[in-house]
Amino acid sequence: MRQLRIFFRILVETLIGLKQSGWSNWLVISILTIALTIFGGVLQLTFTLKNVVSTWGSHLEISAYLKDTYDPKSVAQAVAKIPEVQFVEIVPKEAAWQEMQTTFKVASLDNPLPNTLHIKVSSPEAVDPVASRLKLLPAVENVRYPMKVAQQINQFRHFLEIAGFVVTGALTAATLTVIGNTIHLVIESRQREIEILSLMGVSPSYIRSPLILQGATYGAAAAVLAISVLWIIHINLDPYISEQLVALAPLLSHNNIYSLMQTFLAILLLGVAVGAGGGFWTSGRYIKI
Amino acid sequence: MIRLQNVSKNYGGRPALVNVSLHIALGDFAFLVGPSGAGKSTLMRLLYREEVPTSGNVFIGGANLNRLQKHQIPLLRRRLGIIFQDYKLLPSQTIFANVAYVLRALGVAEAEVVKRVNSALCVVNLDNKGDLYPDELSGGEQQRVGIARAIVNGPPVLLADEPTGNLDPATSLEIVQLLERISARGTTVLISTHDQPIVNAMRKRVISLRQGEIVSDVDSGLYEMESEN
Repeated sequence: MRQLRIFFRILVETLIGLKQSGWSNWLVISILTIALTIFGGVLQLTFTLKNVVSTWGSHLEISAYLKDTYDPKSVAQAVAKIPEVQFVEIVPKEAAWQEMQTTFKVASLDNPLPNTLHIKVSSPEAVDPVASRLKLLPAVENVRYPMKVAQQINQFRHFLEIAGFVVTGALTAATLTVIGNTIHLVIESRQREIEILSLMGVSPSYIRSPLILQGATYGAAAAVLAISVLWIIHINLDPYISEQLVALAPLLSHNNIYSLMQTFLAILLLGVAVGAGGGFWTSGRYIKI
Repeated sequence: MIRLQNVSKNYGGRPALVNVSLHIALGDFAFLVGPSGAGKSTLMRLLYREEVPTSGNVFIGGANLNRLQKHQIPLLRRRLGIIFQDYKLLPSQTIFANVAYVLRALGVAEAEVVKRVNSALCVVNLDNKGDLYPDELSGGEQQRVGIARAIVNGPPVLLADEPTGNLDPATSLEIVQLLERISARGTTVLISTHDQPIVNAMRKRVISLRQGEIVSDVDSGLYEMESEN
């Protein structure tokens, strides 16, 4: 019961600290929200790309786009004779165009799409050699296969991870400084209370707890805002991204590759940790018992 | 209750206290006098463990403060009541809330807080002013609130650092007489001051410090200002 009363007093002191901080609260929360949004965005994007890479990287499919002057059936027969090829599907340009018009609601134009062959090979090792052989065929305009795209995405993902986390790290450091300054101001304005509590035998943990909680409150508030921003972006962008992925690799189904909940949890944990850490560090530095 | 054994304290090589030994028994009432820079405040800070001696030992109630762990310092301070020259009241809180402030932080039940605060305000004759704010009180009344806050936890030792420094002579005498009454109930009281008329009016134990050394320790003594020169 006594501990509960102390906890209640700590909450009251935290609210007093937040009230005293005034506009500084919003400055801290704004900067932390930006940092957490970038962190969450990068994390979510790398999760997504990682899933794409792992899904596509093991796919044994090749798309071959044919020149209009060649008959797709005869090309398909020639391709099927390649030893590593297991299966060939013809996607006529008319069918592809009709599907695209339905999906993307494009205007009435002349059909710009080529006839396409979807080719399945026997093993991951066969993907590159078969693709190379297909490129040599006179009927083939272009070749695309998920494994190649996956390799390129992987390179981009590595770059994104490094760049994203460097930016997040810099913003987190800036946030820690702002939190430190804000809590330092609270300590200055409450110097008398802190001195009285300290000299009258109140424990240092009680004196520091409201400041740590104040920091954690900033972190939680910023995390909620960052999650809201990312959720809105997700709702608006997800249908578009799904369509792009389907267009890029028609044979692949667009699975639920997002790990939004993991990202949101990471944002919340990082926000609270940064906020509470800032409060802990500052109170330890400026409050001498 | 308070014992110092050959205590010295240096700040960057400059001595603030030099080989001070002292004993103040339970229920004693003593003045610690001396000019500015004599070492009074340093000695007080050693007693509530804001400082540690460079050498020697400080005991409160048998506990050697040199051996206290950091987490034990709050427990020591709960056994001390500290009174400040500038009162250190919270202007945004009522008199009652000021006195109750530390008790609430220690998690004391509200019924017990009310009981103890009313009792402490009664001792300092402010039981009818609990709803007022510090700004509405005179300097002497504000210092009495500071005394109520110091005694509300029932400490066996009261340390008063220049408690009359901001008060007129008549109010100063009232404050010191109030502290004497509290001492008469069994509380050890040590008052650091350079207020000669008050010390001489009380005729209590006087411990004189000069340049960090005890130059006299006399029961029913006087504050000899000329000895400072």
